[in-house]
Amino acid sequence: MNAPLIRNERFVQIAAPISVGLLFLLIWEIAVRATGVAPYVLPGPLTIFSALQENWLDLLNALLTTLKVTFLAFAIAVLLGVACSLLFIQSKWIEMSLFPYAILMQVTPIVAIAPLIIIWIDDTTWSLTVCAVIMAIFPVISNTTLGLRSVDPNLLNMFRMYRAGRWQQLVRLRIPGALPYFFGGLRISSGLALIGAVVAEFVAGTGGAKAGLAYMILQSSYSLQIPKMFAALMLITVTGVLLFTLMVWLSNLALRNWHESAMKTEN
Amino acid sequence: MPAVCIRNASLAWQGRSLFSDLDLDLPAGQWTCLLGQSGVGKSSLLRLLAGLTEGMQARARIETDDGRPLTGRIAWMAQQDLLLPWLCVLDNVLLGPRLRQGRPACEQREQARYLLSQVGLSGLEARFPAALSGGQRQRVALARMLMEDKPLVLMDEPFSALDAVTRLRLQDLAAHLLADRTVLLITHDPLEALRLGHRVLVLQGHPARLTDPIVPAGATPRAVDQPQVLALQGQLLRQLTEAPA
Repeated sequence: MNAPLIRNERFVQIAAPISVGLLFLLIWEIAVRATGVAPYVLPGPLTIFSALQENWLDLLNALLTTLKVTFLAFAIAVLLGVACSLLFIQSKWIEMSLFPYAILMQVTPIVAIAPLIIIWIDDTTWSLTVCAVIMAIFPVISNTTLGLRSVDPNLLNMFRMYRAGRWQQLVRLRIPGALPYFFGGLRISSGLALIGAVVAEFVAGTGGAKAGLAYMILQSSYSLQIPKMFAALMLITVTGVLLFTLMVWLSNLALRNWHESAMKTEN
Repeated sequence: MPAVCIRNASLAWQGRSLFSDLDLDLPAGQWTCLLGQSGVGKSSLLRLLAGLTEGMQARARIETDDGRPLTGRIAWMAQQDLLLPWLCVLDNVLLGPRLRQGRPACEQREQARYLLSQVGLSGLEARFPAALSGGQRQRVALARMLMEDKPLVLMDEPFSALDAVTRLRLQDLAAHLLADRTVLLITHDPLEALRLGHRVLVLQGHPARLTDPIVPAGATPRAVDQPQVLALQGQLLRQLTEAPA
């Protein structure tokens, strides 16, 4: 006999949040219709969906532009962030001297410095990418450094007994041990890369063929096409959720055999 | 197998002297068991022998009867299994070859499989440590230590985290597989020392001194219900509890 679907953990994991979402959309639609609120103030989900259908080519192009900046920035943030972490763990002095500047990047409001970066760098894609990298890099640096430093001293002693050098300690002990922390950083950083790309585009206000989703939102709000604006907004949030899911999937793939976060427990 | 003599060993940690002018002999091919309360300096003595004295003020003259230094001739087994969670059982056993040459040779893989069968883990080579019980993990650690094939074996309470029955089984297994090595076993458990040791010593006091060795009769591993073992266990427990804390 098949167990009832409700007992299936995977099914519940997917079905429960979707049900909540559908219920929310239903209440939204009913509320909009019952109160008769104008679509340029708050459109209902069905209106937004038809706006998505009508403008899908525009929106798809905008989505691709935003995605290009997001993935470019995310890749650079990961490579640069890991390189910084590997540099930091070489000595306490290097970390003490440079880490405050990593924090500086984290706490500087990107909205405030984005105009400068856009002036400095002519190419729009690259100027937006730099802004998004500044947003996304800190969680990678901070988590990976923490992971590379969190080595069980007993394991380190054992490696010394085996007379393993610094390179062996790094490659066979520190880096594998840092993976759970690294993937934790990626989950945060992927979302920040997307937000960075969108925020930078808001500031830049780039239109034309290179317009991304942020420009779609700006343009739609100026022309009071509020349903289209909501459709663009929805695409950004869905992209963010998908990015996060992709990171969780990658992390589970890499850690499923040995780390508590990714293993299927029996109970 | 070398006999090892430690002479005038002194050790201080965070400004506190644990012991000074301590002498200890490890006869060749025999098990020497060291008992003592927590914090008395047993593990530190082991680390001194292994050369892991980072952060301690340590001094000792260590001699071997074959005149060669101990460096590279020591195997270590600790209370924690110290398996790498991201490597499967077979790769954990092959850690030494992996660290020295990157890829283990075919005959080393065969040897690792043979050792895993010796410790009763045939068929579990591809498992990851997280999927094993505590006893199984410690068996993997034992196989990894045997893979290194070193003449001097240092064991720091290797069975103390296991349940009573598993502990007895692993003691038998270790006694059998390490029969011809020079072993120094640190333990809290007088019964374990008396089952496995050719010589049993107690480290106690501040600064710590070694008592005269007890030399139980008969081959190891001795049976748990041997009258001699039981009587000596009582005597050792009294000695340990009566010592000033």
